[in-house]
Amino acid sequence: MQVTVRVERSTGTASYSVDTKAQQTVLDVLFYIQNELDETLSFRCSCRVGMCGSCGMVINGKEGLACRTGLDRLGPVVTLQPMRHQGRIKDLVVDMGDFFSKYEAVRPYLTPRPEVQDPIVASPRSKLREAIDLGLECISCGLCLSACDVMTAVPEFLGPAALNRAYNLIADVRDDARDRRLAVVGQARSGVWQCHTHMSCVEVCPKNIAPTRAIAQLKQKLIVRRFMGHRERPIPKLQYIVKEGG
Amino acid sequence: MRTESVDILILGSGGAGLFAALHAYDQNPSLDILVVTKGLLGKSGCTRMVQGGFNVVLDPRDSIERHFTDTLKGGRYINDQELAWALVKDAPETINELETRVGCFFDRREDGTIHQKAFAGQSFDRTVHRGDLTGIEIMERLRDQVLGRGIHVLEEHRAVELVTEEDRVVGALVLDIRRGEFVGISARATLLATGGGPTMYKIAAPSLEKSEDGLALAYRAGALMRDMEMVQFHPTGLLAGAGRVTGSVLEEGLRGAGGYLFNARGERYMVHYDKEHLERATRDVVARAGYMEIMNGRHGPQGGVFIDVSHLGAAFVRKTFPGMVQRVKDIGCDLATGPVEVSPTAHFHMGGVAIDAAGHSSLLGLYVAGEDAGGVHGANRLGGNGVAESTIYGRRVGDALGREAMDLSLTITSEAEWERRAVHHTRFWRRGQGGNPAHLLLELKGLMWDRCGLVRREADLIACQESLEELEARVEHLSVGGDREYNLRWGDALNVESLITVSQMIVRSALVRTESRGSHYREDYPHEDHAHWLKTVYVQQSSESKTMQTMTRDIAFTRHIPEELKEVVNDVVPR
Ligand SMILES: Cc1cc2nc3c(=O)[nH]c(=O)nc-3n(C[C@H](O)[C@H](O)[C@H](O)COP(=O)(O)OP(=O)(O)OC[C@H]3O[C@@H](n4cnc5c(N)ncnc54)[C@H](O)[C@@H]3O)c2cc1C
Ligand code: FES
Repeated sequence: MQVTVRVERSTGTASYSVDTKAQQTVLDVLFYIQNELDETLSFRCSCRVGMCGSCGMVINGKEGLACRTGLDRLGPVVTLQPMRHQGRIKDLVVDMGDFFSKYEAVRPYLTPRPEVQDPIVASPRSKLREAIDLGLECISCGLCLSACDVMTAVPEFLGPAALNRAYNLIADVRDDARDRRLAVVGQARSGVWQCHTHMSCVEVCPKNIAPTRAIAQLKQKLIVRRFMGHRERPIPKLQYIVKEGG
Repeated sequence: MRTESVDILILGSGGAGLFAALHAYDQNPSLDILVVTKGLLGKSGCTRMVQGGFNVVLDPRDSIERHFTDTLKGGRYINDQELAWALVKDAPETINELETRVGCFFDRREDGTIHQKAFAGQSFDRTVHRGDLTGIEIMERLRDQVLGRGIHVLEEHRAVELVTEEDRVVGALVLDIRRGEFVGISARATLLATGGGPTMYKIAAPSLEKSEDGLALAYRAGALMRDMEMVQFHPTGLLAGAGRVTGSVLEEGLRGAGGYLFNARGERYMVHYDKEHLERATRDVVARAGYMEIMNGRHGPQGGVFIDVSHLGAAFVRKTFPGMVQRVKDIGCDLATGPVEVSPTAHFHMGGVAIDAAGHSSLLGLYVAGEDAGGVHGANRLGGNGVAESTIYGRRVGDALGREAMDLSLTITSEAEWERRAVHHTRFWRRGQGGNPAHLLLELKGLMWDRCGLVRREADLIACQESLEELEARVEHLSVGGDREYNLRWGDALNVESLITVSQMIVRSALVRTESRGSHYREDYPHEDHAHWLKTVYVQQSSESKTMQTMTRDIAFTRHIPEELKEVVNDVVPR
């Protein structure tokens, strides 16, 4: 199949004509161009199987992973642009530092409760597991941030992935930094209230995560806290979880 | 040139590199630690790509001794027993730390305890996992913890040379890929954790940026290397035509759960190779069987054999292996309902830098952990022992670094010396029209696959050695053009250079080992020869002539004499 590939490079748009083979992806085509047609083209990848989240870009106007986007789905003209809302290093390579500084702001690391000394007992069907499972598969590829409509108007917005991670940890009974994290996600300018549920993030997530759902849960928690103060359901004791796990 | 000096320099951000950074930091937060990584932090490398899971003894009915003897048996008894013991002994506390301190959440049984699944070559179901894409969970959480501690990281920087001074490693020359500039980093202690990665084969599994850099760097610096002939081929690499997904692994759990392997005639061919274990035999056995079927013409349209799990029930397959189902769906097939064409794929390098159980190499100041190290797995790694190695040794070596770094002196390399060294790595730029490194790489991959792959013969190995010399000479005629910033072709040239150096070590060692053992199969010496080959093959660059030297040494049975060897080995000699 003959395909025209238009790449929005740092130096302007470049157009390449490529003869593609069955089962090839956008990533394969980029390698072909770089190896055979234009050695100066730059792009990023690592795993080539949708696990590392290094190859995000805008493909025919929509965010996707180059390694998991088959050419058969794209038609005879393929346009490739770097992800949005992130600085550019070169060609299709963006500075993911922009994505990660937002991610870091929500304290994305477990702050372990000291009394948790052993893996917690949690049945696959417990509420606890449900809450965490839904968001865990994130590969921090940045596609959701690129697709987020809010970002254009409010560049400070923490964005879907960071908020999704925050929710995961807030729902995680092993974590001890829930209050600090809630304070961050509740900030007026950068926090959850900026999200107007456009769902663009949900549409592009290669792992079928719904950050919008996590954001809605965070909003609810913040409202509960605001109006009910200390009457909010206390953080469950670990013993309790064991029972809930049944 | 930019220069830096740090207490601890960590090369690589896989499981080994990041866990080491955390442990060194926690030992002594005032240490100046720098992580340098070829890709993005925690997003590059193969720990990220771990699918199946992590071997650990958690069940009271299982035991550390059993995990140990399984590991030795899988390694055909040439593992360093001290290294293998440290692996199995530290596994439970490592899983505990991952769950309670790092923030991972592995899959659970119905009763809420950690689930353990079946892998090949094991006497007990002991593989902990997160679905069938376990590495994402481990790496995302380790990365989060590194961010939380504010450890200094240089992303998309690759080490190109270790700097030595009188048998001591005193830092590394690093290329900033983004800017196309060099950075000279002096360090008291340097950790090599670049994750090996035998990508010099036509069909290969590792992440695309990996090119055995660590092994090439260590060798050139004069470190003692071992078991280099031992390259693991995974039996079930996906075939997807000209797509780069080709070679990626369909995880071992598929065979563990009862999957079948068929040749193109529809025969369950494992019956002819290992009647007892069939598809659940160790990887070396299953991979070679697949290769023999292919070489004997019983292959499918893409030159592979077939894995079939459909008899386990489509619903079960979709629920248990969602990641694998998705990947196969991406190439237009359905794993849950029918056979999928697969081939052996180069997966893991058992060989590497010789270390002790705290990660010390033969060079003072150089520590090694993860796939860059050799000895833990012997002649064949058990599935699930790889990510165990990278995390467990990352922790161990991180602890050693934290304790020892300040006792090592800091030698600052002069700027002129850094400049002098950098010139060598820019030589591709001074040439006009020259060879394309991507083409050279393809030639190398074909050569190694045909002549030094799953089945080896003396004549082929000798021919391979000669061809490698020729390819090595052609590296000097490669050319790179364009801007220096984020120049992928420059990276290709450096990659192929590393891979050729390491290929030479593989071939040399393969010639020395005149028997078949584990993943090393010599058609001209088809039997395991315990009487002569309970030995390790070492490789080292001679410091005077700069030529490659090999030597062998008897295995030290420091903890255990396997039943099979009672006739040839007499006593345990503790170290
Ligand atoms: C597809 C696949 C599936 C696997 N599945 C399993 C499994 O289910 N169970 C199991 O136990 N094992 C599995 N393994 C093996 C396991 O991934 C490895 O044993 C282990 O993770 C290696 O860890 P590491 O930290 O040594 O290296 P890696 O995780 O590979 O990390 C290497 C790091 O070094 C960086 N690097 C490379 N070169 C340089 C350089 N020159 N300078 C600076 N940085 C550099 C890389 O970018 C990367 O960050 C699998 C491997 C693959 C390829
Ligand atoms: S290269 Fe890893 S997700 Fe595409």
